[in-house]
Amino acid sequence: MNAGLIGAVVLREWRTRVFKRSFLLGTLLLPIVSIGFMVGAVMLTESSEVHNVVLVEDAPGLITLRDAVSGQYVPRCPSCFPERDNLSYHFTREAPADSIWKRQGHTVLVEYDDAVLQNHAGYLVYDKSPGASAKRRIERDLSRAMEHARVLQSTVLDWSEYQRLKMELTLVDKTIEDGQRVNGGGDEVRGTIGFMFSALLLLVLLVYGGVIMRSVVEEKANHVVEVLIAAVRPEALLLGKVLGLGAVALTQLVAWTLLSSMGFIVFQLLYDSGAVGTAASVAAGEVPVDLLTVMGENDVLGHLLNINWPLMAAGSMAFFIGGYLLYGSLFAAVGSSVQSEQEGQGLTIPVTMPLLFGYLAATMAIENPDLPILEWLGWFPLTSPVIMLVRIAGGVAIWEVVLSWVLLMLTARLVLGLAGRIYRFSVLHDGSRSGWKLLVQWVRGHGK
Amino acid sequence: MSTTLQVTQLEKAYGPQKVLDGVTFDVPKGSIVGLLGPNGAGKSTLIRSIMGIVEPDAGDIRLSGRPWSREAVQGIGYLPEERGLYKDMRVGDQAVYFAQLKGMKKADATAALRLWFDRLEVQGWWDKKVSDISKGMAQKIQFICTVVHRPSLLILDEPLSGFDPINARRIIKEVRTLAEEGTSVLLSTHDMPSVERLCDQVVMLDRGRVVLSGRSEALRESGWDGTQEVLFKGTDMAFTIALGALAHLDTSGPSPVAGIRKAKIRLREGVTASALLSALMQSVDIVEFIKVRPTMESLFIGAVERANTTESTPAS
Repeated sequence: MNAGLIGAVVLREWRTRVFKRSFLLGTLLLPIVSIGFMVGAVMLTESSEVHNVVLVEDAPGLITLRDAVSGQYVPRCPSCFPERDNLSYHFTREAPADSIWKRQGHTVLVEYDDAVLQNHAGYLVYDKSPGASAKRRIERDLSRAMEHARVLQSTVLDWSEYQRLKMELTLVDKTIEDGQRVNGGGDEVRGTIGFMFSALLLLVLLVYGGVIMRSVVEEKANHVVEVLIAAVRPEALLLGKVLGLGAVALTQLVAWTLLSSMGFIVFQLLYDSGAVGTAASVAAGEVPVDLLTVMGENDVLGHLLNINWPLMAAGSMAFFIGGYLLYGSLFAAVGSSVQSEQEGQGLTIPVTMPLLFGYLAATMAIENPDLPILEWLGWFPLTSPVIMLVRIAGGVAIWEVVLSWVLLMLTARLVLGLAGRIYRFSVLHDGSRSGWKLLVQWVRGHGK
Repeated sequence: MSTTLQVTQLEKAYGPQKVLDGVTFDVPKGSIVGLLGPNGAGKSTLIRSIMGIVEPDAGDIRLSGRPWSREAVQGIGYLPEERGLYKDMRVGDQAVYFAQLKGMKKADATAALRLWFDRLEVQGWWDKKVSDISKGMAQKIQFICTVVHRPSLLILDEPLSGFDPINARRIIKEVRTLAEEGTSVLLSTHDMPSVERLCDQVVMLDRGRVVLSGRSEALRESGWDGTQEVLFKGTDMAFTIALGALAHLDTSGPSPVAGIRKAKIRLREGVTASALLSALMQSVDIVEFIKVRPTMESLFIGAVERANTTESTPAS
């Protein structure tokens, strides 16, 4: 195939789309919309935070004592009730009637009796729900306060000594690879990362597959195609078209990534400086929410670092190219065999089925990226583009990645040739018939 | 004269249907050859075979004396009947793109296209989008895209469709100029007057076979059945008597000019036009004496009818 001619086709496809107003608008709009959504979500969350004033009716007197100076009931363990922006506590031994405590400015009443230490249950009374997160905080604070009371009642330990002795066991995963123990676990983290890559690839394949199909239909409709295939071999023309639109997809992805990253950095700076809302979670008394700290605590970062990122990056690119060539050719073949875009929609369903099946299988990888079915689907070229990214994230031998990719590329080459043949026959087709029967006929080399 | 295109015993069938059946003809260098035939005669398949869009089952195609190759096809300028342009591209960009597909470098293509745009007076449309130009203008652009790489062979399928008479004449002039400069032209059309005006040779196809071919003038000459048109001053009676046994009188009546009669006659076998003219001049005053040769259309229809008759007649 003449590389110069393919290059000219690639350049035309790229230039006519990338310099289109709709492309520029779409490329700019997506990051703006996604950042807008994020800002909106944060502002909405913050504006929806209600200040809850909790009245705790400590009837058994477990967690409160009367302050000698003020005469008010105060917690025995003040540190169990840290100061928060949206949550404050008042204590009593006997709550007034509902209408009265509400009138006093309380939004929530907590009640329990002597049995609370045995049955671990109490009541949360309210007009309007304080919200799930506020409820969790109230439960946590009261649990600690009661734990404090129990420690003081039933042991000789003091609170600080009890806290020092208290422990929670963490099991760190170790997997055996080549007879060596290496860090393991984190299936969910790695599965999720792999799934995210697969989902993105699926999205690009479906969106740009549709673009390829429309482009072929358009060329047939405006009668340019006969001039083109007289100058360029149908396979070369199709390859140029698929590559050109792939370059458009890559351009858009890169632009989205850059613009979104810049947008998020700007948003982060504004957010941290307080220009955009305030971080509710960084309220006084709570542990600061630092991503690295949180990740470190949950070992997420460790699992992320366990992913073979160079292989992940190379695999993503390789399977994007292979998957794109394969599905691009299939969509082009569909576009060749129909007279209108609407007609093509019906034919694309069987084409996209394996891809969607692979996607569904990839969702299973979030729980377990080492499922046997994923191994099999990883060899099958129609599903390997979406499956192998999940498997790479989960950890897979390089030879398996390479072999799967080679199979994918060989299939893509074969399909490209068949699509070229269909493309050539479709030009000569009078348009009176279309469908799968005709496609098969063209693939076999028959028909006008 | 060297041959630019040589087609020999070309055959192509779609299933049981034979579309090309031993088609043989040449396009000499610098000549304009008309490819004629009714719908379904195999013209499009023949052209697509030459262009490599369709693979023939048998036969041989040679371009400038060399066996057919895809590289050689790059030297052909092809204007298909079903033609179009990308609507969302600028005219200039599109023309450069087509020229690049024909192997031209961008700078060379741009320079050559600028000259052609000037020549066909479409220079103001370079930066316009195709969707903004008229159909006739788009036809001109398509013609330019076909000829810009200075092809040795031009294949034009219905090149004048969509043109008004003035622009059609313009295109005919350009085609003729290209032929004079050495470009060979294969012109497929149903427009018989343009064949008569343009073509040096014709190839007539019917049901995949060549039913008539040769130089246009020679074909018309050989198809002449002795018909003459005579404008004269005098009476019909004197004219008929003068014809005597020399010719048949087909029609006779007044001409548009007052006092002048017009008759159509057919010479009897063995009688020369000069012998008849001498006889007529003794009885009437001859104003014009014109040899009426058959039109391409009548030759075309006659050839097709003859082919059909031959096919339907059982072999003895």
